[in-house]
Amino acid sequence: MPERPGASAPAVRASLGDSLATGWDEPDGGLPPSDWGRPRGPRRLATVWVFALFTVVLAAGNAWLSDRLTSEVFLAWATVFTAISLQALPFLVFGVALSAALTAFVPASFYRRVMPANPFAAVPAAGAAGMVLPGCECASVPVAGGLMKRGVAPAAALTFLLAAPAINPVVLVATAVAFAGQPEMVLARLAASFGAAVTVGWVWARLGRTDWLRPPRADHDPDAPRLQVFRESMLHDLMHAGGFLVLGGLAAATVNVVVPREWVAAVADRPVLSVLALALFAVVLSVCSEADAFVAVSLTEFSPTAKLAFLVVGPMVDLKLIALQGGTFGWSFVRRFVPLTLAAALVFTFVIGGLLL
Amino acid sequence: MNRTAQGIVLLLLGAGALSSSAFSDLYLNYVQPGFRPFLIAAGAALGVLGVSVIAGEARAALRGLPGPETAPASGSRADSDDHGHGTPRVAWLLLLPVIAVFVVAPPALGSYTAENAASAPPPSSSGSDGGGDLGDLGGSAENGPVEMKIQEFIGRAWTDEKRTLEGRTVRLTGFAVANPEGEGWYLARLQMACCAADAIVNRVLITNRPEPEEDSWWRVEGTWQPPEGDLRSVRNHRFTVETMDGVENPPDPYE
Repeated sequence: MPERPGASAPAVRASLGDSLATGWDEPDGGLPPSDWGRPRGPRRLATVWVFALFTVVLAAGNAWLSDRLTSEVFLAWATVFTAISLQALPFLVFGVALSAALTAFVPASFYRRVMPANPFAAVPAAGAAGMVLPGCECASVPVAGGLMKRGVAPAAALTFLLAAPAINPVVLVATAVAFAGQPEMVLARLAASFGAAVTVGWVWARLGRTDWLRPPRADHDPDAPRLQVFRESMLHDLMHAGGFLVLGGLAAATVNVVVPREWVAAVADRPVLSVLALALFAVVLSVCSEADAFVAVSLTEFSPTAKLAFLVVGPMVDLKLIALQGGTFGWSFVRRFVPLTLAAALVFTFVIGGLLL
Repeated sequence: MNRTAQGIVLLLLGAGALSSSAFSDLYLNYVQPGFRPFLIAAGAALGVLGVSVIAGEARAALRGLPGPETAPASGSRADSDDHGHGTPRVAWLLLLPVIAVFVVAPPALGSYTAENAASAPPPSSSGSDGGGDLGDLGGSAENGPVEMKIQEFIGRAWTDEKRTLEGRTVRLTGFAVANPEGEGWYLARLQMACCAADAIVNRVLITNRPEPEEDSWWRVEGTWQPPEGDLRSVRNHRFTVETMDGVENPPDPYE
């Protein structure tokens, strides 16, 4: 969805819901026209020259810098940042490609047949569907956007977004491996994550307003070749989500390197505080959901319920994910959705942790 | 960001992913070995997408499609030229991983992280991977050294109630880390589940050899010093070194 002209980028973000909701059914609200973003000839050429220069600078920088970078803190930070970026990249590309395929190749009537029309019935169905997408949270955001584009109720798509990274088979197996001998942890994670995702979906179905969400691009031109729709959709999603993913990776790497583990361990023996501390730790650390069980099991000082909070909150709310959601759905959405999700995840952690652990 | 720039950014990003995985072992510093095919696939997909966008632009340029100045609504065009394409400026950050891979190429995490990271926990229950697994130490001859990961070694040491490890010669590989709190130094290896962001440290304490240079890699042979009292209350397992050889950095720095 192209932003409306006539406002600077930050201003558009601040009031995205309103500014877009008023005008997004204008005739050019569909796929951008074919000359969209095509610069004048000289500028197009200038772009190529700028990047050629950039490549030369990269090579020179590599030759000049590689022996001069010796700061241990900086290098550890750079390693963690590169690791988060490289690790998330395939999931992002996979998610974006899947979302583009949903848009380009699956007819909209398919979703109307598969998903219950009533959002309240569609929410648990979408949560259960989340069990089959083996990916981490970076993949689920573009896929949820693709589902909305095809007319799936936002509440159901959001439930899918929350459930998929937390309860897919890969993550559950990883949890079982990390917590060998504690199968109740796998069960607790499944129950709490599914419960929180469905609850958020129902609340959103009841209270959510469409103009909080950045409206998805209107349906593509039915005459456009499917391959072109696929390419444009991938390009659009990558450009919108990718930068925010990097932003989240920068923040997470900084926290990872700067915050000493002793701070976290200091609150380990307080019953409620320790749960909140590990929930906060999950938010800032932004570990991918396939690995978080291994991190949780290493936090030995903490109670099982606190570890459960780490496992339930992490895949639903973390810095990387917030940035990604902001880029995909807009910030007026994030402002409402993230606190709601965090609250639901914490409530279910306490309830399920109390019952099962 | 115009479409040519978007295409080039994606192409560079794809090149970064490919060059660190398909054409070098750099990716081993950041993610697990098994992740390589996914990185290659993602890099190739980004490269193909980037090239196809750039090619589309080049074709349009050759055919001399109307530039913005000849299009009718030039007023709104001037506005949309900078930010009207729906591409947030934050998309430029996609160049940071490119710079990280090509310019900085950060090394694997080492002693700095090992000193600060959380250390591996004792296995959650002694029944789970103790028992039968402990009976078979592997190794060729009865007294030949047994090659072990540090992770396996301390996992065993924490659950080895029958002390089957006692007296066996074990070979471990890791890097040297200072022990700021007391005697000796650590031979450590970082263990990662998914990527370097979740690395936790496995280490053994060595006191009968002088401390080598930090971050230097060593292959040591020696024996476990069985602690007194409850095994699971031990914080650092001690290791008596018999022989010690320097090694080149192993291709996969993590275990």
